[in-house]
Amino acid sequence: MSTFTFATAQYESGDWDSAPLVPPNIIDTIARYTEIEVNPTGAVVSLASPDLLRYPLVFLTGHLPVRFTDAERRQLREFLDRGGMLFVDDHNHDIDGVFHKTATEELVRTIGAPVLLPNSHPLFSSFFHFPDGPPTTTQELNGWGDNLVHKNLFAVVREGRIAVLYSSKDYSSEWGYHPENKRFQSVDNTRFAVNIVVYALTA
Amino acid sequence: MTARERVVAARRTLGAAVVARALLWAIALGASLLAIAAVLDWLVGAPRGVRALVLPAAMLVAAITAARVLWRGRRVRSVPTIALWLEERVPALNYSLVSALESPHASASLEREVAAVHWMPVVRRAVGGALLPPLALVVAVVVLLLALPAGVRERIRAPRAGDTLLRPPVAAAALRNRLSPLVADVVPPPYTGGHAVTIEEPSSIEALTGGRVTLRGRGSASGIAATMAGAPVVVRDSANEWRLEIAMPVKPAALELRDRTFARTVVLAPHADSLPVVTLIAPARDTVMRTPTGAFALAAQASDDYGLDAGWFEYIVSSGEGENFTFRSGIVRRASLGNQRGAHLSGALDLGALALHPGDLVHVRAVARDRNDVTGSGIGVSETRTIRVPRKSEYDSVAVEAAPPPDADKAQLSERMLIMLAEKLQQRRPSMARANVVKESQDIGRDQARLRQHVGEVIFARLGGAPETEDAGAANDGGAKLTPEQMLAAADAATRGAGAGATDFEGDETPVVAVNRPLLEAYNAMWDASRSLDVGEPGAALPAMRTALAAIQRARNAERLYLRGKSPVVILDIAKVRLAGKRDDASSSTLQPRAALDSSAERRARRFDRALDRIAADPRAAIDSLLALRVDALTSAPPLAAALAPAIDALRTGRDATDALVRARRVAAGVTVEQSDSPWGGGW
Repeated sequence: MSTFTFATAQYESGDWDSAPLVPPNIIDTIARYTEIEVNPTGAVVSLASPDLLRYPLVFLTGHLPVRFTDAERRQLREFLDRGGMLFVDDHNHDIDGVFHKTATEELVRTIGAPVLLPNSHPLFSSFFHFPDGPPTTTQELNGWGDNLVHKNLFAVVREGRIAVLYSSKDYSSEWGYHPENKRFQSVDNTRFAVNIVVYALTA
Repeated sequence: MTARERVVAARRTLGAAVVARALLWAIALGASLLAIAAVLDWLVGAPRGVRALVLPAAMLVAAITAARVLWRGRRVRSVPTIALWLEERVPALNYSLVSALESPHASASLEREVAAVHWMPVVRRAVGGALLPPLALVVAVVVLLLALPAGVRERIRAPRAGDTLLRPPVAAAALRNRLSPLVADVVPPPYTGGHAVTIEEPSSIEALTGGRVTLRGRGSASGIAATMAGAPVVVRDSANEWRLEIAMPVKPAALELRDRTFARTVVLAPHADSLPVVTLIAPARDTVMRTPTGAFALAAQASDDYGLDAGWFEYIVSSGEGENFTFRSGIVRRASLGNQRGAHLSGALDLGALALHPGDLVHVRAVARDRNDVTGSGIGVSETRTIRVPRKSEYDSVAVEAAPPPDADKAQLSERMLIMLAEKLQQRRPSMARANVVKESQDIGRDQARLRQHVGEVIFARLGGAPETEDAGAANDGGAKLTPEQMLAAADAATRGAGAGATDFEGDETPVVAVNRPLLEAYNAMWDASRSLDVGEPGAALPAMRTALAAIQRARNAERLYLRGKSPVVILDIAKVRLAGKRDDASSSTLQPRAALDSSAERRARRFDRALDRIAADPRAAIDSLLALRVDALTSAPPLAAALAPAIDALRTGRDATDALVRARRVAAGVTVEQSDSPWGGGW
């Protein structure tokens, strides 16, 4: 089995590197709870690069407007056609925000409209069990962003498998801390990341 | 007797013959169908559903046959047709009969000519020829049916569960396996009021503990041995059957049957009568009573799966302190519940009669008992509530009663939520009374005003002054509330007062006003929305509310800063995270994960695999192994037991068991396959 590398998508527009501490934190979580062979450093991969196909799961986030170039759109479409999974998180946590509006427009243009992901989906039990659906974030509970607690994630599903997972919950902020600080938490709030990775690798 | 009268008489005879022929053919064909079905069932054995259709089908065939024969003989009603029929068969008439009938006033010579001819022998021969074939067939079929064994006829006449034993065996008695066919009669305990159930060819019998199970098979009981959990079970003769009776045990068990070299295992899967479920409704929570007088209302709801016998309330009074305590107990309002499955209990606890003193505690609970007279009455109890009488020394202590949760914090209502509330109200408006619309609209208006005040505070705070509310402003201005224009003016004034730094101008506005303009627009729109909401017009308020939301969003977008320094590059030490690192100054030893424990689930999976390995070589042994596994799984792994049942049935009846075995294998291996057939819905 080859080693899993957590990849962050780099795109021409916007601030793709707005959550630099999320990848090491997720890698730490994968190492902590699973026996998945994981690369200790994540990778940054351009959406327009053929290297995109080397990664089963790619993380995309940002605050600013997202406009894919033709090359990015074409490469992303091929990545998804070949079974890759894209995890998009709105770092603004704002359904009226520019990232949400532009990123969803780009996704619709590239692969199709995401739909509501039911909270009984296997994603929420692929490793840890989240019977109530996606875990809430501090940003939601504090009323920041759009002041809404999003009950569901959205997804583009192809042949029964999630191709694009879209979150308005701002996990980019929630998981954006140094992994060493995880020891101060009574319940690790990054456990849901394990489900996403395990789902991407097994579903 | 005239010619016409003689023809009418012949018609009567022929008509009766047609009816009799129809009946005989109907009986013959209907009975033939029954006989054929009976013989086929005897030879190959037909399912009960098919046999249930035979009798209606025979009746249908008989009805159709009778109708067809009657239809074909319909012309027997016509006198001229009868006359022509006679002319055809009696040439001596020489058309005199037809001529006599056609003429209204037949001549005497014609009548004499007709009278000279006797046609009744011809009619009788025709009648005999018509009735003889169906009559012969009826006799043959009836003889055949009577010759069949009574059980064969009974299976066709009235198919029912358990009649497989009525089918006579085809094989010779010495070679016959008396353990198949096998019929089980299950009678639930009398207190349940349930009906007896008959199961054919059972591999597993599920019944309430204490129910009577009777197993029956064909032939003598001699040489048949039965054991359950190692203990022998008596097998008796009964008419032409052997039978054994057992009570459904408390735990799952395997009943082993042996007949010479034949063996069979039947799994007994009992399920227990559950205890009554009792919920105490009143008192709803623990409480403290300074003056213990009056009556305390008691109410409870009880339910049971088979029936309740009685219900009551129990109380215990504990008095004293330190190391000296005394207890009193009693029962309130015992009621017979008459075998109902659900009942409401009510009563009253007279606190005055209990003579309570300070420091006493009264514990109250509701109790219900079911009618289980087999394994003992099940008694269900509710949770206990306490009523405490405080001591005088406790009067000035802090005793906080449990309070209901507070209303949702209205301060957290955002403009977006208010818009959603207003939109819902607008949708429901056509079906609501005007007064209710106004009331709910004003409620939203109050929240809108609260949010507007908050926006005002933010504006003032950003101008550098102390947070100042509209109310504070109203006090300063002699009771008049600040208007948006006054707010704008105040903002400008505050800017001018602050003085320094106001160098960046945009048009005629000061920079502070420009920065705050989106919020001031929001503030203004909120005023408009409040006015419409206060007069019960949520629809009119919505445009202003949306304007306010858009302005707030503009303000937020304009001021969202993403200041970020260079983040540290984090390179994880995976070995350290996994606690698998090693020290350079210590002996090298690689930590290996411990081997998984040999869990019971794994043992069951291995037993399942071993049983599967035997299927090809010895199917009967494989079935017995699966049955034994199912007996164990009934207690320790009910999902596996449930998955094994269809697989065993399929194997025993010779059907394709692949799918059922695959499902059982998945359960045995602990593989859970999530069904992703939940409806997808929603959108952006």
